Amino acid sequence: MKKFAYYPGCSLESLSLSYHQSAIESTLALDVELNEIEDWNCCGATAYFHADELLAHTLVARNLAIAEKDGLDFVAPCSGCYKNAYFTNQQLHEEPDLADHINYALEEDNLHLDGTINVKHLIEVFIDDIGLEQLKSKSIHPLEGLRVAPYYGCQLVRPRKDGENVENPQFFEELLSAIGAEPVDYGTKMRCCGGSLIMTNREAALDMVFQLLLDAAKQETDVIATICPLCNVNLEAYQKQVNQEYKTEFKIPVMYFTQLVGIALGIDPKKLGIGKELISSGELEKFASKETG
Amino acid sequence: MSEKVGVYICHCGTNIAKTVDVEDVATWAGEQPNVEIAREYKFMCSSLGQDLIEEDIKEKGLTRVVVASCSPHMHEKTFRTACERAGMNPFFFEMANIREHDSWTTDDKPAATQKAKALTKAAVDRVVHNQPLEPIPVEINQNTLIVGGGIAGIASALELADAGYHVYLVEREPSIGGHMAQLDKTFPTLDCSACILTPKMVDVGQHPNITLLTYSEVEKVEGYLGNFSVAVRKKARYVNEEHCTGCGICIEKCPYKVIDNVFESGLGVRKVIYRPFPQAVPKYPVIDTDNCVYFQRGKCKACQLFCPTEPNSIDFEQEDEILQIEVGNIILATGYDLFDVSKIPQYGYGRLANVFTSLEFERMVNASGPTDGKIVLRDMETPPKSVAIVHCVGSRDENYHKYCSKVCCMYSLKFAHLVHERIPDAEVYNCYIDMRTPGKGYEEFYNRLLEEGTHFIRGKVAEVTDVARIDKEEGKLIVQVADTLIGKQRRIPVDMVILSPAMEARSDSKEISQLFKMGCDFDGFFVERHPKLDPVATMTDGIYIAGACQGPKDVPDSVSQGAAAAARVVSLISRGTVMMEPVRATVNQEECSGCRICNTMCPYNAIVFHEDRAVSEVITALCQGCGTCVAACPSGVISGAHFTNDQLFSQIEGILWDVHSEPELVTGD
Amino acid sequence: METSLTFSKEIANLLYAQHGNPIKDCIQCGTCSGSCPAVEFMDHSPRQIIAMIGADMKDEVLTSNTYWSCASCYQCNVRCPAGIDIAGMMYGLKRYTMWKDDYKENLVGPHFAESFMKMIMRTGRSFEPVLAPTYIFKLDAKDMFQEALMATSLFFKGRMSLVPKKIKRLDNFRNIVKRIIPFGGTA
Repeated sequence: MKKFAYYPGCSLESLSLSYHQSAIESTLALDVELNEIEDWNCCGATAYFHADELLAHTLVARNLAIAEKDGLDFVAPCSGCYKNAYFTNQQLHEEPDLADHINYALEEDNLHLDGTINVKHLIEVFIDDIGLEQLKSKSIHPLEGLRVAPYYGCQLVRPRKDGENVENPQFFEELLSAIGAEPVDYGTKMRCCGGSLIMTNREAALDMVFQLLLDAAKQETDVIATICPLCNVNLEAYQKQVNQEYKTEFKIPVMYFTQLVGIALGIDPKKLGIGKELISSGELEKFASKETG
Repeated sequence: MSEKVGVYICHCGTNIAKTVDVEDVATWAGEQPNVEIAREYKFMCSSLGQDLIEEDIKEKGLTRVVVASCSPHMHEKTFRTACERAGMNPFFFEMANIREHDSWTTDDKPAATQKAKALTKAAVDRVVHNQPLEPIPVEINQNTLIVGGGIAGIASALELADAGYHVYLVEREPSIGGHMAQLDKTFPTLDCSACILTPKMVDVGQHPNITLLTYSEVEKVEGYLGNFSVAVRKKARYVNEEHCTGCGICIEKCPYKVIDNVFESGLGVRKVIYRPFPQAVPKYPVIDTDNCVYFQRGKCKACQLFCPTEPNSIDFEQEDEILQIEVGNIILATGYDLFDVSKIPQYGYGRLANVFTSLEFERMVNASGPTDGKIVLRDMETPPKSVAIVHCVGSRDENYHKYCSKVCCMYSLKFAHLVHERIPDAEVYNCYIDMRTPGKGYEEFYNRLLEEGTHFIRGKVAEVTDVARIDKEEGKLIVQVADTLIGKQRRIPVDMVILSPAMEARSDSKEISQLFKMGCDFDGFFVERHPKLDPVATMTDGIYIAGACQGPKDVPDSVSQGAAAAARVVSLISRGTVMMEPVRATVNQEECSGCRICNTMCPYNAIVFHEDRAVSEVITALCQGCGTCVAACPSGVISGAHFTNDQLFSQIEGILWDVHSEPELVTGD
Repeated sequence: METSLTFSKEIANLLYAQHGNPIKDCIQCGTCSGSCPAVEFMDHSPRQIIAMIGADMKDEVLTSNTYWSCASCYQCNVRCPAGIDIAGMMYGLKRYTMWKDDYKENLVGPHFAESFMKMIMRTGRSFEPVLAPTYIFKLDAKDMFQEALMATSLFFKGRMSLVPKKIKRLDNFRNIVKRIIPFGGTA
């Protein structure tokens, strides 16, 4: 059984509870254990970096240090948390002076960061550690005919790490194919959802969400699959505002990829948090009830 | 044994004398051991200065000469020649650089003077150990090998052949012509490329002094300047060149077509037995065995069936031939590759049908190309109503190639012109960062395009997408770019996008450079001897470079370099013998232990190992005197002529003449 | 001895430790502005901001809303041919204006960031309702109502808690912050 140090992040506690639930359930069904890091703090998202860089890195370092105690790799389901953790980890490796300074501060909580663990996004666990072959074989209810738009968003692949394909990666499509779904040719899959601009510059964020929904609708998407709670909230919870602003009638369900995986694995939809959506998951519900009924 | 050294301290006007007290140095030098006479003079390199040296050699019987002045790069040759004129071996001369290394580095007069003394003494102490060396004569074989039959190689070959010397022109493809044969019109005159190229190709094919080896590659290169021994593999065409008349019936009758990814850039097809293009030189076709039904499955043989010559020209049993040729000089003119634009996914090449590369478009507009010169979309039918041309694809970009590829602005303008010409109502957008049109007639060409109504958008294209936002964008390719001159992000819907990719070094340029024992830079282009003053020579004597393999350039520059390389070769060939610097390494074979450490260290592959005697030997003519093997030899049995241990150690001690500390002996008691 | 730096030097110093190339490497190609999904809502495009910094146009840059409209999507970063960390520059400008307390009026961003920091210090976790006041009053009546509606729907779906969570070792956490900024800092 593979184990990971699981960092849910603030959003998964309430706003994106279904992501948290489906993450735990689907990984468990695939023989992976996500051990929640004890007493974790907020990673600082983007807002903290707007105020103080050093403090922001320290916040992240505390979580890494706690995770390091068990010697397990750090897994974050939220792209923002993942990006912060990954790059803080990298920076501390490259600048030992900075690492010393932060470790000096971490002493106050009896913590020390050696930089021995790796940082992963939850989707990487499915693709690299579990593997698509296993995922396919365990998908007892493949989501056949379900047109899913793989919404990568920004901070999963950007900034660039080690020459990876940042413009047109295919791993999310491959994951969706493995669980039997039909990944849609989603041209705006790498485009930003607006992130925290939904609060700080609503006009801009709504436009960005609009473009994403427009493209998804054109591609006759049944469900938009997300890998980040903020992307999910912006695309789903604010769909009504977009409709109001742009005089459109979008009604596209937005789900977390772990929920889709969970259904394919035959897990009870309630356990995956299905039913918590503001926009009913339409097609998927039909799937869900049909398959597990 | 004492020597009589003449020391000359140069003022160099005020360059040296302003900072170094030259009189003091001269007086001091005169008191040093072995120094017969020490003078100071305003300009040692002048004829009067040189006379001083010559007279002193004759009248005072000097056996060594030291001049303390500028850098040896400037005047070592001058003074060596002066010594030679006076009957002294030029290697009995040493220079001390008290200008670039001293007076030009500081304003501190006492310190500069002290350093000048140290440098002069070092030269004096060294020169007494110098040996009389003689330059090494090397005979130059009159034949030349030119690798690459593009425009640079062709220009080079014709220059040499017309001068009366024999040339082997080796070309990897079945025909010469290179990338220039693929082009339609050439900028800025819009001359038809084939019309200006093919006469030259025919000249090459018919020239009595040129041995054309096409569909051939160099496999091994041995030897050195004037004496290269090269193995060339002539790949089997499966067509007998003695009997084939080039009638082309075999090509006509061949029932199988494949996509031509080389000449037609994937836009058109060719037969399995083929000539790359109708004006191919030589005219003999080639069988593509990977796709030939006979070679894969033993069937067909239509070409042989229909070949009218007696005896039949198709020879399925033909084998590759290895030719061993002896040449004196080699010119590399291997050309360029086009950057693979699929490395920039946001431009959509491969994913979006109507995104084309420059070479694909060249083939499209070419009258003898796959569309007979009509500009059409991928469906091969519909002409575009709007075209966007994207500059700097993969050039000027840290993520791909940092350099500017020089020719793309011009050919992008050319494309714009061709679209205007053939589709008069089309809207053409050129998206650029800077418009680089430096050559003769180039800026005027840009002006012409402005007058033709091209829309110039100053901005590097961010992405090409098919995700439409408004009705006007539906079904189109949208070019998203920041128009920096008006300060707005624009989305321009077009039917066709043409990408202008970077000019890259050939994908195997590193292997080629290793084969010919010369270097290539980080970008893969061959390294010239000096970026300003010697662009066609390389660090390896006898190997020259010309054309795009040295760096991105257009046709006029390629021709110029081809001719320049030819001129260099002619100068060597016409001399017949060349004198090489005797600064070489020698292995004392009696004491060599055969460890072979020096073999792999030599950057010029100049050391051979004799298996029978288990000793290494330096090939004098290949050796460049770098000294690596001398330093590396663990037994110390390699000596570098003109850089022996005696010479170097005395030079070091000379520099340290005023350092007095004695090492303290720490003893147990 | 220089006693005052030009604005472009100030910003260059600010970004010195970052991983990208200095902003003076910018060739003004416009790839960043061409890629930016939020550029329509910015006073100046990212490219223009870089040019303005180079021209020492301090006031215009500080009073621009450009960097507060940056979503940190990093699309500019991965495409910039000069290898400049443009998103990093946006972060740097945000921090600069917050330190100097000098930014365009009526921006939500700076107040949001400040609220966020205070919230973290209070509990160690993020809690949305606390952040709402920073932006909700800038919305018009219709949008405010819509927001309230959404919040209510989320609450009934069990996705909105009314009580913030606190981390257990909050005191240690606060001490960590104090140690990082030895002179009291912004905590």
